Amino acid sequence: MTTVAALAATPLRAAFVRAAAAIGVFAALASLFFVSIGQPPATMFVEIARAAAGSGYAVGESLVRATPIMLCALATLVPARLGLVSVGADGQLYAGAIVGTGALLAWPLAPGPVLLSAVLVGGAIGGALWALGPALLRAFVPVHETISTLMLNWVAAMLVTWLVHGAWRNPASQGWPASIEFPDTARLPVLGDSRVHAGLALALVLAVVLHAVLTRTRSGLVLDVLRDNPRLQAVTGCAVAPRIVATMLVGGAFAGLAGIVETSVVQGRLQSDLANGAGLAGFLVAWLAGNRVPQTVALALLVGAVLAAGDGLQIATAVPSSATLVVQGLMFVALLAVGGASARWRGVGHGRG
Amino acid sequence: MAAADALLTGLPVSTLRGATPLLFVLLGECLTQRAGRINLGVEGQMLVGAAAGYGVTALSGSPALGLAAGAAAGALLSTVFAVLTVAVDADPFASGLAVWMLGFGVSAFAGTALVGLRIDGWMPWAGGITPTIALALALVPVCGFGLLHTRTGLRWRAVGESPEHARAAGVTPWHYIVAGVLVGGVLSGLGGAALSVDYTRTWAEGMTAGRGLVAVGLVIVARWNPWLALPAALLFGLAEALSLRLQAADSAVSAHLLHTLPYLASLGVFAITCARLRRRPGGGAPAALGALLAR
Amino acid sequence: MKLPHRLARLLAAAAFAVAPTVASAASTLGYIYVGPEKDYGYNTSMDLGRQFVEKTLAGTKTLHVENIPETAEVEKVMERMIRSGANIVFATSYGYLDYAIALGKKYPKVAFLHAGGLKLGDNVGTYWANSDDAMYLAGMTAGAVSKSGKLGFIAAFPIPQVVRSINAFTLGAQATNPKATTTVIWTGGWLQPAKEAEATNSLVDAGVDVIGEQVDSPMTIAQTAEKRGIYMVGKDVDVSKLAPKAVLTGASWNWGPTMVKLVREIEAGTWKPSHVRGDLKDGTVVLDPFGAVVPEAVRKSVLARKGDILADRFVVWSGPIAGQDGKEVLPAGTPMPMEQLESMQFFVKGVIGTVK
Repeated sequence: MTTVAALAATPLRAAFVRAAAAIGVFAALASLFFVSIGQPPATMFVEIARAAAGSGYAVGESLVRATPIMLCALATLVPARLGLVSVGADGQLYAGAIVGTGALLAWPLAPGPVLLSAVLVGGAIGGALWALGPALLRAFVPVHETISTLMLNWVAAMLVTWLVHGAWRNPASQGWPASIEFPDTARLPVLGDSRVHAGLALALVLAVVLHAVLTRTRSGLVLDVLRDNPRLQAVTGCAVAPRIVATMLVGGAFAGLAGIVETSVVQGRLQSDLANGAGLAGFLVAWLAGNRVPQTVALALLVGAVLAAGDGLQIATAVPSSATLVVQGLMFVALLAVGGASARWRGVGHGRG
Repeated sequence: MAAADALLTGLPVSTLRGATPLLFVLLGECLTQRAGRINLGVEGQMLVGAAAGYGVTALSGSPALGLAAGAAAGALLSTVFAVLTVAVDADPFASGLAVWMLGFGVSAFAGTALVGLRIDGWMPWAGGITPTIALALALVPVCGFGLLHTRTGLRWRAVGESPEHARAAGVTPWHYIVAGVLVGGVLSGLGGAALSVDYTRTWAEGMTAGRGLVAVGLVIVARWNPWLALPAALLFGLAEALSLRLQAADSAVSAHLLHTLPYLASLGVFAITCARLRRRPGGGAPAALGALLAR
Repeated sequence: MKLPHRLARLLAAAAFAVAPTVASAASTLGYIYVGPEKDYGYNTSMDLGRQFVEKTLAGTKTLHVENIPETAEVEKVMERMIRSGANIVFATSYGYLDYAIALGKKYPKVAFLHAGGLKLGDNVGTYWANSDDAMYLAGMTAGAVSKSGKLGFIAAFPIPQVVRSINAFTLGAQATNPKATTTVIWTGGWLQPAKEAEATNSLVDAGVDVIGEQVDSPMTIAQTAEKRGIYMVGKDVDVSKLAPKAVLTGASWNWGPTMVKLVREIEAGTWKPSHVRGDLKDGTVVLDPFGAVVPEAVRKSVLARKGDILADRFVVWSGPIAGQDGKEVLPAGTPMPMEQLESMQFFVKGVIGTVK
């Protein structure tokens, strides 16, 4: 116990100890699982590491997967700073994809930079619009934001399906439900012959700006105060309602951006299923990171890598996709267990037990 | 007339059938949240319940044993959530999603052998009611009365409102929180087994298709009240049945849009009741759910 | 800091031990499935093909990945397979085509075989089979067995491959019962057992007594039909074992021989990207055995029509064919061109429902 306490004395060392402990717990749990399904643990760990970061290609794919997760995590984080639980990133992502694609369909012949900006801004606006309903309902009725954002996820996904099967179907696609392709001028640049795109840089820049706003400005700090004690609004004159709307809209814009970036750069067209679980993965990342920006960015990269590695593990070892899901689940259990335990030692737990 | 027939014949039992798996999960999650935890892992707990229930029914030939196995499997997986959120006090949202992933993976992995097995479930009684539907309906008063009108229920709710005050009153909060999570595990496992053994007679990986998450949302619609879980589940079941029956009745509306009906109907009805009850802050939310703004 | 070093060396050694051996003359095949490999349905039919190839062509190695959506995700998976040594990629779901063509340009030495579609690349070909003949014959059976003349069809999405099945099923039913109609319910997902069960119930309540389907697996609809005491027609795999009373017949796949033939051509260097199409005649499509309830007279007339199809005396997609509104879409005596067939977006007369 004393060693742990001593080690935990400096923050960097504490982080190192936590990471090592999490890796240890994960290795133990995953080894148990691998042995139980008749796979040699060492081989499996090597293959996971390889598939996630074993080559330039693998790293690239991990970054591609991490990008929408990072944006969706930020989309969860902003309202969470005020204590709001938004599960709506998936729906906002689809709404962003719809409005951004709408911009392309409206001005297909606009000059490149104008078109690209219209598409990206359209994406952000679409996400924000999808969050507007739940924001107003929460601020003024009040309808719990969790239920409204949750239910609207399915609605947005089905709107995309409806559009690509009907009005927006590319006539040249031989009946396949998808919009026309985004011209190169409406796509963010891509790195070399990889699929890594400027959306990642955009997400990182936005994360830095967001972190500065949340921790250095009055409007950011006031969120923390109101979250911890909403009754202060009467004393300080900081009304909660406009801040509910503002944080929800900003969050929605982040997720909408994820949607249009995925649609335009990665898919190259609007179609169903493009979220690929990014919204829920982002939600997981944000809460796992305690809704703090730097941790969220780091965890999004990790989670992106782990999720991207799933197919690599199947190819290399012929395990079914379910086995990769178990491994991913065990990794989160390990991270949560170690994170929770160390917080408890330091006496900064949620204090709700 | 034919269109009206297609829409209305058998609609009540269709609604009940669709609502039953949800109702189990909804009641369980309601009790979990009243003890102060939100468990998004019910989706995974449903899946392990569905797989275990299907497997045991196929092996034993007894759907009743299958339901029991489903309940046990759901409870077993929920212990992971209990350990994470009680013993080490990890974030409940992230813990729930981790449990969801684990449950999805484990059930899909173990369930591969069950795909395409034939089971003989219950033949419905007159009117299309099955023992599963009856059990779900019977659990509503049990949970409602137990939570709202017994001493245990009072302590249970007290823990959900404020663990500190409950502790001061001589209650050990973590006993109730763990019990709440485990009861949620049992009922979500039952809900999963009801889906595989009785409703569809199928095991397929990921077959819950978001129903667990819907149940977590419907707890809010039911205002954390087991009695209101019944209308909330029925509303969703009715809207889903209608989204399919409107197609059979040759509705001119696109099927893609009809599929949004269950989600929009739940949200719409909830928003209207919220607007009418706006003078009652909190809407029944247990205060210790934390993270939520006090209202 | 000793430990990490030793760990690193250990990991390096392990990595070396599992590094892929240099590809031998025999091919490495990469298979990608849109759903679970063991779904007792479409993906299982493709995986049976993979197993057949592995068994028939000694030394062939196969890689397989399941549950890959029809999005850019598949591009990543195909690339990873190629990097793991695959020189032939079987992209077994309809929505992978554009991604296969895109990646084909990046890897010109790899052969891509895609399930259906009408686009080609320099090294991208398609393989598919016309299951409409079998669906037509199954529809004939359904129309003859149905007492109400009301048939149903439960399917995931209105894509051409599904729309053709519904139309072929309906045309067949009308051959034995000219008044037969088919009511369509879309479930909005390939694998949605609860919705499939409830759609079956809804159709039964509306008076339908035979149901066709095209979702991931026929198993839920078959079991629900059996429970409700009506009949059904399967697709992709034979489900009569699950619901012996309900299953009348069905249209199953047998992909193995086609896949073996393609792999042999590629290895021999004689393969040119093209649209390879199998059918009932070459055995890629199988009409499942009849259920006990199908009367002898019905079996005879259906098998007689099957004989006509095999002998080219009868063509399902030949005019006159009327659209849902009764207007002629194909004039009498004209066969439907493959392009129109494989991008079909209309229902024939007698289908109740919408493709939008």
